[in-house]
Amino acid sequence: MMKGHTLFNWVFTFLAALVLLFIIAPLAGMFLDSSFGEVRTTAADPAVRRSVWYTLAIAFSSTLIFAVGAVPLAWIMARRSFPFKKVVQGVIDLPVVLPHTAAGIALLGFISRDGALGGAAQKAGIMLVNNGAGIALAMAFVSLPFLINAARDGFAAVPERTEKAALTLGASQTRIFFTVSLPQAWRSVVSGFIMMFARGMSEFGAVVIIAYHPMIAPVLIYDRFNTYGISAARPASIIFILVALGFFVLFRVLATERRPIFWREDDAAN
Amino acid sequence: MLRTERLSKRIDAFSLKDISLEVAQGEYYVLLGRSGAGKTQLLELICGLTPPDSGRIFLEGEEITRKRVQDRGIGLVFQDLALFPHYSVKDNIMYPLKIKKLSLTERVDRVQRAAAEMNITDLLLRNPNTLSGGEKQRVALARTLVTQPKILLLDEPMASVDASLKDDIRRMLRRLNRSGQTIIHVTHDFGEAISLASRVGVMHNGRIIQEGTPLEVFNHPVNRFVARYAGIKNFFRATFIKSYNSCSGITEKRTKFRLPGGSYPSAGLLIIGSTEVLLSRQGAAGVQINNIHGIIDDVVPSPTGFEITVNAGDFFYADITHREMEENRFITGEKVIVSFRSESLRVVGEGDERI
Repeated sequence: MMKGHTLFNWVFTFLAALVLLFIIAPLAGMFLDSSFGEVRTTAADPAVRRSVWYTLAIAFSSTLIFAVGAVPLAWIMARRSFPFKKVVQGVIDLPVVLPHTAAGIALLGFISRDGALGGAAQKAGIMLVNNGAGIALAMAFVSLPFLINAARDGFAAVPERTEKAALTLGASQTRIFFTVSLPQAWRSVVSGFIMMFARGMSEFGAVVIIAYHPMIAPVLIYDRFNTYGISAARPASIIFILVALGFFVLFRVLATERRPIFWREDDAAN
Repeated sequence: MLRTERLSKRIDAFSLKDISLEVAQGEYYVLLGRSGAGKTQLLELICGLTPPDSGRIFLEGEEITRKRVQDRGIGLVFQDLALFPHYSVKDNIMYPLKIKKLSLTERVDRVQRAAAEMNITDLLLRNPNTLSGGEKQRVALARTLVTQPKILLLDEPMASVDASLKDDIRRMLRRLNRSGQTIIHVTHDFGEAISLASRVGVMHNGRIIQEGTPLEVFNHPVNRFVARYAGIKNFFRATFIKSYNSCSGITEKRTKFRLPGGSYPSAGLLIIGSTEVLLSRQGAAGVQINNIHGIIDDVVPSPTGFEITVNAGDFFYADITHREMEENRFITGEKVIVSFRSESLRVVGEGDERI
């Protein structure tokens, strides 16, 4: 559609290129300013390795655990109408607009020893503050809207008639959810999962208030910057960006590849 | 078999009102009506997808008004068919059988039998998105039929089928009905009703306004709406004047009809089928023959020949065959005489409907 050398096309292309350059230039600059040796040495640093591993593991677990509740919530938002639905949608979107440090403070009150959840967890022998569990909660708090909203759009796009047809064919609500709704919406659900994982992985503001230690990668980068300056923080940033990018691309490829995700017992009958 | 008692349901501004219908075992019942008449909503009430506000539903003598959809034993094929796009054709058909926890061999056997019956054996491994409208229709039917429903509800089953394949589907549905399957079929096409129904119910604005065999509905439409649905175009609002042994009807445009003896209201609608209107240049003789002078307004080809519109103050529509056209060569602007027997004229009520 955008063919021809019209002034409109030139202006739009120029403006688009400026924005892209704005994203690429700082990242490219960071790569160019660091030597391969520096990056290799930093990559071998056990503290850096540990923080990257923590970040990935905690972000993934947090996404996985919270998906158990977020996906049903997304389905309800897509399929049911109820009073104050718009208010509920506002609550879901709230973490996106909150300053993340403020979110961290709010969460800290909730999960510290004196808080409702923190107190209960402590009785069970779990310390949430300065702990991986606390970090997972902080990551989930700020990244849940990405999963819920993507999954909600996915469920909303499933033709309701297919669910009704399954009812007339004798299926229960639970069976319909797992055999009709979820398989048709799974691309959106997985896409939301990836977005939540990616967003959780890069969270700094809320996490740093809940737990400076164990150090996840964004906190470690900040710590290196504060302690040793930009030249020390740069190689750690490069490593984390590469790892995060690698996982992001991997998940995207896995999610968009066309292959049967839902195997069926009677495929042998083919 | 299936009976509904004063079934009512309000959905936003629209409402189904006092629907009482009875469908006998083995019957092919066609619900005829325009889109928006409430046909689909009625099917959803019968199969339990939406609960009625009032009224009751009975199936084989048992009240099922509050029974779960899954337990009613009613099969419904949606207008858009609602095939599961993430399953193959085979898995679509097998879906209800898995719920019944049948053994794998039993399931495979039933799927193969249904596929053979619907002539879709070679499509079993295909994805529904790659099928034509007619093929999808067969798959949806097979998927519902494997549940062995007591009654089969079809919502506009010809809607997504190419015109050339409609005959196939019609034949298949007739065969299915002959084998004992009770069917309620929803359509907006009177032709479909004529070719399939043992009984027809005409729906309009959430009500069933006429019921009967297709012939009864065609020959004795209760009002102008049903008559127009039945393909009748010649309508004349007339005032009736009685004389000694006959009666006349006079329209606002002063067209005078000679009517057979009998009792008539003071005013009403007169209808006459387009095939019963004859055109000639000299008129027809006989006491009970109406001869009305007019000018040909339009000549339009029709599937069976031509439809000729004659302006005689009031407009008359006449269907003539190709042979008649070859013999007479009627042309637009030509003076002709419209003739029909007075027995061909029927008086119908206007009902609530004015079109």
